[in-house]
Amino acid sequence: MSNHKINVTVNGEVEVVEVPANMTLLRMLREKLALTGTKNGCSAGECGACTVILNGEPVNSCMVLAVECDGASVMTIEGLSKDGQLHALQQAVIDQGAVQCGFCTPGVLMSAYALLQRNAKPTDEEIREALVGNLCRCTGYNRIVEAVKQAADQPETVAA
Amino acid sequence: MKYIGKSVPRVDALEKVTGRAVYASDMTLPGQAYMKMLLAHRPHAIVKSVDTSAAESLPGVIAVLTSKDVPANEFGYYTYDQPVLCGPCAKPYADRVRYVGDRVAAVVAETEETARQAVDLIAVEYEDLPVVSDVEEALKPDAPVLHPDVGSNQFGHHFLENGDLAEGFRQADVIVEADYNTPAQEHAYLQTEAGLAYIDEDGRVAVITTGQWIAKDRKQMAHALGLPEDRVRVIYPMTGGAFGGREDISVQIIVALGALKLHERGIHRPVKVVWTREESILAHCKRHPFRVHARWGATRAGKIVAAEVKMLADGGAYKFTTSIVTSNSVLNSLGPYEIPNVRVDAYDVYTNNVPRGAFRGFGGPQGVYIAEQQVNKLADALGMDPIELRMRNLAGEGSLQTTGAPYPPGVTIREVTEQCALGAGWELFRDGTGWNRKAGYGETDQAQSHKRRGIGVACAHKNVGFSFGYPESCTVGIELYGGREIERVVIRHGASEVGMGTHTAITQMAAEALDIPMEQVELISSDTAEVEDAGSVSASRMTFFIGNAIKEGAEIALQKWRDEDRPVKITHTYWPHKTTPPDPVTGQCDPNVAYAYTTQAAEVVVDLETGLVEVEKIICAIDVGKAINPQQVVGQIEGGLIQSVGYAVLENFVEKDGRVLTANLSTYLVPTIADIPEKIDTIVMEIPDPRGPWGVRGLGEVMNMCLAAAVAAAVHSATGVWFDDFPLIPERVLRGLGKLNGRTP
Ligand code: FES
Ligand code: FES
Repeated sequence: MSNHKINVTVNGEVEVVEVPANMTLLRMLREKLALTGTKNGCSAGECGACTVILNGEPVNSCMVLAVECDGASVMTIEGLSKDGQLHALQQAVIDQGAVQCGFCTPGVLMSAYALLQRNAKPTDEEIREALVGNLCRCTGYNRIVEAVKQAADQPETVAA
Repeated sequence: MKYIGKSVPRVDALEKVTGRAVYASDMTLPGQAYMKMLLAHRPHAIVKSVDTSAAESLPGVIAVLTSKDVPANEFGYYTYDQPVLCGPCAKPYADRVRYVGDRVAAVVAETEETARQAVDLIAVEYEDLPVVSDVEEALKPDAPVLHPDVGSNQFGHHFLENGDLAEGFRQADVIVEADYNTPAQEHAYLQTEAGLAYIDEDGRVAVITTGQWIAKDRKQMAHALGLPEDRVRVIYPMTGGAFGGREDISVQIIVALGALKLHERGIHRPVKVVWTREESILAHCKRHPFRVHARWGATRAGKIVAAEVKMLADGGAYKFTTSIVTSNSVLNSLGPYEIPNVRVDAYDVYTNNVPRGAFRGFGGPQGVYIAEQQVNKLADALGMDPIELRMRNLAGEGSLQTTGAPYPPGVTIREVTEQCALGAGWELFRDGTGWNRKAGYGETDQAQSHKRRGIGVACAHKNVGFSFGYPESCTVGIELYGGREIERVVIRHGASEVGMGTHTAITQMAAEALDIPMEQVELISSDTAEVEDAGSVSASRMTFFIGNAIKEGAEIALQKWRDEDRPVKITHTYWPHKTTPPDPVTGQCDPNVAYAYTTQAAEVVVDLETGLVEVEKIICAIDVGKAINPQQVVGQIEGGLIQSVGYAVLENFVEKDGRVLTANLSTYLVPTIADIPEKIDTIVMEIPDPRGPWGVRGLGEVMNMCLAAAVAAAVHSATGVWFDDFPLIPERVLRGLGKLNGRTP
């Protein structure tokens, strides 16, 4: 398998990474950059645990090849809080009790972040649409909806 | 109380929302090699030979493991009936694969890709055996026997007899009789099984893994690896969901064997394995499907006088926890009712299906489905309101269980049922009618005439702790540090954090018991080298058991502190009320330490054209005794209810001739955010359990017990059809409505 050298901006940092042609973005993040906050629940685009923001759009990183990300900008869960300040969504997930085992949580937060970026005041229906690809087996989703609503009502970051 | 009863943020929340929380699949150790396992992918065969030469000569392959490498090629929760690696070896019949997820070999290589390629190069010669995939077929005299050493595919019989059944049926004015089939269910925890094995600084083989009970994992690992238990170490970091599906061994033994084999050859490298989603679904256990015949009778006055139930539990290829699951179903198939005359028989049956095991509720949801369908049908047959019929039969304080022994103190199913009924629109009429709900049955949707609405109700109890004479206990370590004041508390415990918030509950309870701020409580968790045996995180037991251990232990520790011990270091074991095993003749016993109680109503909309059943609203009353953390309690309840919605109307685990047709998350559908009811009303009641710490009852499973039956009753009230099989997927509903022919798989 031939290796490719790609330039990719991850959470604001420019990274130069050597990746095999068949490596997914998910594996690159976890194995090459040690960003293990992004989870693998299926490797098949079915669970949403691997959701990251690629050039502003939420994607299942298990379905994207790393080589496709040459020149791209990626944001992961590790980039959501800035300078020790939790993002309003993270705080809301804590406040609303929307995390249990937490394995879905990074992906949920990324999908919700993308939603709020394009729609600052989503309806319940729009929240459900945005998160339909993120499976959560623990919470029953209600708390997650409440968390997104709480964050939508707040300025972008709050004190950690 | 200062810390109990407060909705403080989870102690692990910050790490989880920032992506810093570490799960076994996230761990790496320097120099680690990668493992890939060869699954049988065939349901029943003898492994004649395993040729690993091509795999071994692939560059990058470090070792290939087969049956010959396993010191004692057997493991299992109660009975060692499963080979670690199927193939020729000293153990009789360990050369057989009995389901698609049995493991035949494992490769350790420099990379995961190489390991995967090498697995494909392993040449296995199989002699296929006839496949048994149906419980009734499995019991026929000429059926192929899965475990020749057991001699029969029936590996357990559980029964209960009380009163005089024939006399009971003589007294009955109405009798309802039906056959039921309950479905398998896949846990679909978001994190697949993972393990990272290495030789630790003390020379022990250690595995960082996913699981529910470190001590039980260690016991089985030590046995299979031929090591004393103290040479084996099990560590759980955060685990991404469990729901019973991690009660049994998955990757632990094989990955540890990999590290050991390398070590023996002078290669000191850790070995890591992560199952794919398909491997997870093929290999780990499922909720048992049950085939049941039930016959119950009641008098015109609404007194249930006789109940007879016969159940076949499909145990799949290996025993796992089946026998206890089935015993628990025996109890639950009679509900929390006083029934004077009962007879239940339940049989554990081996088939070539994926093994069945623990799943939240542990045989309860199956048993409860039977009991509640029967009670709802009796109400229908008597022309009596289903709440009113329940109120005439539910147990109360001082009642005897159907097993003959008194209920544990604190019976609240009547109070819980009343709260649910009131919340769901029932009223109590003092004119002799009793409980009644005037509206909500079979109403047509005003806007869409092809849609009908209905409401149904069901109730249940759930045991807290292991049952039937199991020697239950729970040990914690408590350490107090400081000078004049206690400055720091360390709680050593073995409670696996699989998502339910046990670390938070432990912290809150320790802070309360020791009267010290939560921030000063530090946990040392789930590492057999560091903690004693707290028992399993299952059977809704951990908060109840470890809470008692902390509460009792704290008093002892504080006394030592007052006696000027510095630091104080104690371990304390909580011994609960002793339960008893079933009597060999009658099956009667004192089965359980305690119960939690729930009653649930479901409102559904049935689309008569598409067969789609939507659960619109759930009203769920649960007595939790005392909510340690009210917000987390509601979260647990909601999550369990949504799993139950899946069980009732969506989740369809399909196997054909021992092969799994739903081995991924696009064919096995679990509820998404689009599938949840519009409204869930959770009524959290706090009537203290006299045996629980601070009155706590177990909460982990009770919400999962009875929703499927409430939904089935609601669908009946909407359509007039009783569905005795579920999940109520559109195809099954249309068949039931006479709009499609044939059987639903
Ligand atoms: S891991 Fe990418 S969608 Fe499941
Ligand atoms: S919190 Fe466990 S999967 Fe969502």
